[in-house]
Amino acid sequence: MDTLLLARLQFATTTSIHFLFVVVTLGLVTLLVGMQTAGVLTGNPKWERLTRYWGQLYVINYVLGIATGIVMEFQFGLNWSGLSRYVGNVFGAPLAIETLVAFFLESTFLGMWIFGWHRLRKGVHLALLWGVAITAYASAFWIMVANSWLQNPVGYEVRDGIAHLTDFGALLTNPSLGMAFGHVVSAALLVGGMVMAAVSAWHLIRRTTDFALFRTSLRIGLVTSALAISLVQGFGFAQFGPVGGVQPTKFGGQSPEAQALIAEWTARFGPGDYTPPVLASVGLGFMILTGFTLGCVWLLLPLLFRDWIIRLRFPLWLTLLALPLPFVAVILGWIAREVGRQPWVAYGLLSTEQAVSPVGAPVMLTSLIGFSLLLGTLAVTNWVLLARHAARGAADPPLGRPPAPPGEPAHPEPALV
Amino acid sequence: MDLAWYVLLGLFNACYLVLAGYDYGVGLLLARGGGAAERRAALTALGPFFLGNEVWLVAAVGILFGAFPLLEGELLAGCYPAVAGALAGVVLVTAGVQLRSRSTDERVRARWDRVVMIGSALAALGWGVLLAALLQGVPRQADGHVAGVSHLVTPFAAAVGLALVAVVAVHGATFLTLRLPSADAAVVGRTARRLVPVALTAVALATVVGLLSSRVRDAVQRPAVAVLLPVLLVAALLAARAALARRRPGWALVATGAALALPVGLVGAALWPYVLVSTTDPGASLTVADAAASAPTLRLLGWVALPLLPALLGFQAMCWWVFRGRTDGRAPVYW
Repeated sequence: MDTLLLARLQFATTTSIHFLFVVVTLGLVTLLVGMQTAGVLTGNPKWERLTRYWGQLYVINYVLGIATGIVMEFQFGLNWSGLSRYVGNVFGAPLAIETLVAFFLESTFLGMWIFGWHRLRKGVHLALLWGVAITAYASAFWIMVANSWLQNPVGYEVRDGIAHLTDFGALLTNPSLGMAFGHVVSAALLVGGMVMAAVSAWHLIRRTTDFALFRTSLRIGLVTSALAISLVQGFGFAQFGPVGGVQPTKFGGQSPEAQALIAEWTARFGPGDYTPPVLASVGLGFMILTGFTLGCVWLLLPLLFRDWIIRLRFPLWLTLLALPLPFVAVILGWIAREVGRQPWVAYGLLSTEQAVSPVGAPVMLTSLIGFSLLLGTLAVTNWVLLARHAARGAADPPLGRPPAPPGEPAHPEPALV
Repeated sequence: MDLAWYVLLGLFNACYLVLAGYDYGVGLLLARGGGAAERRAALTALGPFFLGNEVWLVAAVGILFGAFPLLEGELLAGCYPAVAGALAGVVLVTAGVQLRSRSTDERVRARWDRVVMIGSALAALGWGVLLAALLQGVPRQADGHVAGVSHLVTPFAAAVGLALVAVVAVHGATFLTLRLPSADAAVVGRTARRLVPVALTAVALATVVGLLSSRVRDAVQRPAVAVLLPVLLVAALLAARAALARRRPGWALVATGAALALPVGLVGAALWPYVLVSTTDPGASLTVADAAASAPTLRLLGWVALPLLPALLGFQAMCWWVFRGRTDGRAPVYW
């Protein structure tokens, strides 16, 4: 096996696992902000209970987001040292900004939010969650700036074979950025909404305690999902224009523009296979089908009237069974975007072959197997824990549990954790 | 401009080692055979700081990529096993600490604690080997790539790795002495004091092996600075021991923190103006200036970092202030 293929496989594995978790993080944190804000404004304890229950799931999910995120960051240097050597002057900037502006603050805020219940004033505690959410969106934005630059390199000039930054503004107005960012963010909202609706549906099907609580979160989840799926579809189709303009070969090399570009590359870089694997377009087709299927969530909204959705029960089952769909769709979407830029790391500028680190295949294979096993095992463990905590209900989640009142014996080992 | 960014890179790396250093130290100390309650108390002491500590690594690598892209690629790919090992360790600690209490079964928790312990050891060992790799030079060829990974397998790399594990353990024990309720602090304070001679031995061993290694002698550009490093390390460790004996855990933590921050600065200074010294081709050594991104990139990042740094430090300081003091029965328990 050659190093390049192994490095690409590792990138695909790590990125996919990473995205399955960050997409939930981004969606849930938005809904959590809404719930905690409602709690502070109205003083209704229902919102605090909802925030603690969903916050608990959010925090468990976040663990894998951060763990895989760290691996993602190191992977560029470990496996793709050519990327930093040839285009690091440009591509490195948005990534550096992301770590400082977003990732760093997000984790700092989240640590204080988790441990700040009953310790900080309500307003400060709420502000921390707002901080977590804002930096999470900033993180998504800067990562998309970096990724869009790989799809369509702009704002640089090549001197002595190395790309130098000339116009940072061009990175922010990149045609492959705007609609894609909207698409990703609304996909995250869709996933967050669907997770909330599906878990609530499970509790309502099982007739567990806390009917009122899960009724509320079912409604929030479904309305969010419906609004989000329309945004997903809108931003998704709006991408075809700009993407086709800057990456004509993305969905196959048949069009005249694609043929012209391939002829130009052949003249500049020599003959080679410049069309991406068909995997990219096939995945895209399935993603669009899934997207239309999920559009049916609008049909469930009228059933919210007088709780028909709960009384009829089968819509609850539909909601629960549909949960894997948005996850499948987001992975297929990323495969289309990433595989579609093959054989380039930076489209038309740097090939994957030039960018891969000159390490031996045995080292790369060990790394691929090791990290895939490590992250895969952690991902499965994390999902099991999420499912267990989701099923346990909102009776007394450890997150935000009030400390023992003074005078009573302190119990550092709460009974129910 | 290059120098300013190099200093900032060093600052973030040093902060990472000092802050996450006590995370890993506490992780290592989970092995000291205490009961379930004791292990949980240690993690509660870490509690609110844990996420904020680990993230210094992310920021440090962000700066490395943005401001020193060439170094990022060559260093990480060129020292692949050390970086990958440390990375696996960091992932295990991150996941282990945050997930261990999500199960109610004490046996499952104990298993997670072993994961945290192994992860902490791996992380400290990996970063120690990376530090040693800088000091002993790498086989960088004329084409700019580091050849192979066997250059990492030296007695010096092993000695530095073990020394870092030992110093991190002292640091973690000192942190717990400062943070646990007074009664438990006395016990862990004794552990910290007993660990100091171990760390001193490990540092001495690494020093001797380093002095005997021709690669280290050749790679170091400023021998005086390099010799100063073990001297200051020993001084810091002795100061920590003295402070612990006088029940001044705050000062002891400052001393052990200095023992983790000093190597970053002094290794950088000892190699200056180089950052990667080639053992095979003197012309292929990489200077800090050559490793840095071009001027427009550094200028842009400068404008971003300038207003941001006070905010980053301010919010971290807010975290330390809000959760200062010893833990007690009312301390929030989550990990």
